[in-house]
Amino acid sequence: MRPEPSTEQRELQAAAREVLSREVDPDKLLRWESDATGFDPALGRTVADLGWIALGLPAAAGGGGADLVDVASLVEECARGLLPRPLLGAIRSANVLAAIAPDDPLLGPIGRGESRLAVAIDEIRDRDPGRFSTRLGGSPAARIVSGGKAYVPDAAEAEFHLVASRAASQPVFVVVDRRSAGVSLQPLRTFGGDRQAHVHYRDAAVVREIASARGGADVLDRVWRVQTALALAEMTGGMGAVLDMTVEYVKQREQFGQKIAIFQAVRHQVADMGTTHTAARHLAWQAITRIASGRERDMEMTSAVAWVGQAFKRICWAAHHLHGGAGFVVEHRLRFHSERAQSLCVRYTPEAPALREIAAALLDAPV
Amino acid sequence: MDYELTVGEAAWRDEVRAFIRENVDPGLASETRLKGNEGRGPLALRFHRALRDAGWWGIAWPKEYGGLEKSAVEQWIFIDEIESAGAPMLPLTVTSVAPTIMRVGDEQQKREWLPRINAGEIDFALGYSEPEAGTDMASLRTHAVLDGDEWVVNGQKMWNTMAHTATHNWLAVRTEPDAPKHKGISMMIVPMDAPGVSVQPIWVWPGLRTNALFLDNVRVPRNYLVGERGAGFYYAAMALNFERLAIGSVGMGRRMFRNLVQLVREREVDGRPLKDEPWVRDRLARLQVDLEAGRMLGLETAWALEQGRMPAAESSMAKVFVSELVQRIADAGCEILGLDGQLHPEEPSALVEGRMQWLYRIAPMLAFGGGTNEVQRDIIGFLGYGLPRK
Repeated sequence: MRPEPSTEQRELQAAAREVLSREVDPDKLLRWESDATGFDPALGRTVADLGWIALGLPAAAGGGGADLVDVASLVEECARGLLPRPLLGAIRSANVLAAIAPDDPLLGPIGRGESRLAVAIDEIRDRDPGRFSTRLGGSPAARIVSGGKAYVPDAAEAEFHLVASRAASQPVFVVVDRRSAGVSLQPLRTFGGDRQAHVHYRDAAVVREIASARGGADVLDRVWRVQTALALAEMTGGMGAVLDMTVEYVKQREQFGQKIAIFQAVRHQVADMGTTHTAARHLAWQAITRIASGRERDMEMTSAVAWVGQAFKRICWAAHHLHGGAGFVVEHRLRFHSERAQSLCVRYTPEAPALREIAAALLDAPV
Repeated sequence: MDYELTVGEAAWRDEVRAFIRENVDPGLASETRLKGNEGRGPLALRFHRALRDAGWWGIAWPKEYGGLEKSAVEQWIFIDEIESAGAPMLPLTVTSVAPTIMRVGDEQQKREWLPRINAGEIDFALGYSEPEAGTDMASLRTHAVLDGDEWVVNGQKMWNTMAHTATHNWLAVRTEPDAPKHKGISMMIVPMDAPGVSVQPIWVWPGLRTNALFLDNVRVPRNYLVGERGAGFYYAAMALNFERLAIGSVGMGRRMFRNLVQLVREREVDGRPLKDEPWVRDRLARLQVDLEAGRMLGLETAWALEQGRMPAAESSMAKVFVSELVQRIADAGCEILGLDGQLHPEEPSALVEGRMQWLYRIAPMLAFGGGTNEVQRDIIGFLGYGLPRK
């Protein structure tokens, strides 16, 4: 048992922290917020050149061959430093593809930052894959896909889409070139700093079908686990940053002639934020390490999903309360984290389904 | 980053579980409940004897004192498994008083007390609180004056739990009246059969007995003052540090929750399985996740200890979280059982042995006892995050 980062992971995080402290600041975040891409291309190149996107990709694709825990360590630090979400998305989607198709030829260009991939799973009113209407058709030699995908992150900027669809009753992932005929996008204004769009595929040509000897459901499960693991790491990074900035703020801010940290009411809120963060961090990393090793036993991921997202939001609420107006201005880092907290939560860690799953395991499963 | 037990830790957990299977009688939890604070019943005594025979009495003790010198994570595993099984934990005499004597006692004191503690011959009550010194222990007034080779002790202690069954009291007394209040306290061993010691019962809400202790010109040998004169306040804090792993354990909460889940799985209400009630499912699922969160906080404490750090903030986090979680478990349990949840444990039809209403009654004590949660939150702020005191 070693519930803390290894020396190598600490070094990786320290290096990332140094880069991000130099490259990302609230003024830039504000500016990128109004850009179409959501980030500075130069920063995108830096991220690729540093090998962050390729870190978890196979060596054959020019990647670093790191495991999911190392990648999550990097993601945690990137979230702490508010790396723009499209770039965090690039790391996430690269690792998703590597997890389900380690030989895919797209991995090389994606790892080098020459190409991007959007992961298109949810549909307008359906998150249950059993209800997806997006279908695979055509002949074995010329597959096509039709259907609508909703709230697809980075859909407009990514050249390729990894689309969850169905063939007969089986889920199947296919790669589609966003620039091909039959792909249309409806960009959406959302909060949270990413760039989402509804995407409609009308008989769009399939570049490649992701095959799995264990079936499409297994691929879908793997995608879900990798995405969730990295989202948990994003959350722990974000909540750590929020906690740290709040501690610093209450130690400096003076009211009634003294630092507000002197007030027990303030101190106790910080203590509760710290307790929440500590528990959330361990729940998240227990889940991440178990997902990485494939040794998940007792619903560690579901427990983390049910708890960590809510914890992140609670910490943000408390931070806003303690910062008061100072943390409410648009250029303050806090509100970027708070937006990400909710945005990540609704996509990757919705509480209610996780609780339903835990209840079923407690009450319905055979003893 | 690794949350798997090492091979050695997993083997130790399996050994503890095997020991529990072998030595925990099914009636032990009921006996412990019925005995309350009235000492140990025959099953508990048998269990503790088995622990001593196995050499596990001093799992945290250094080997030179006959202990196993288990690591913090191994101790954490032990506590979690024992509590989860409903078996009585090691007494504070073993886990708190003895380690303090080992650290600060002189050689004669170690020779006099440790073998008898190890043999199970001695049991201490802890005498810290007073009517005017609860959370603010440094304000205690019970005092001792040296008279020749004896200390003469006068004063009153409150919440002196087990004083009526203990052989000795581990007493915080003021010996340096002119020193600053934190530096005027010493730790002293007082035999309960010494003339001038008297005990009055105080009955508390969950049906348990604690005591007021009166000391009227009680004479104890000079060498019964343990460690340095005036260092008692710090020794009490040290003793608390030895308890950090147990204070934030979710073992008991997990056992209660497990019993509640079992009942919900089997029970019908209004002709429908209780487990199909959405609010019951939601509440139990939330508690399950909270228990896992609490377990993680205990792990944080164990890991910090393992790394040689003093986990004051970490253990305070666990204490606050787990004590407040037990309140939520108790409340959920009572509501889920509905009218049946009111039944006294002795009622034949009481569900889950009436433990939910008992838990509801004892839960507040967990938050104010062992250092109030306000003080714990202060500790987290001061020591965990460097918040200023002034």
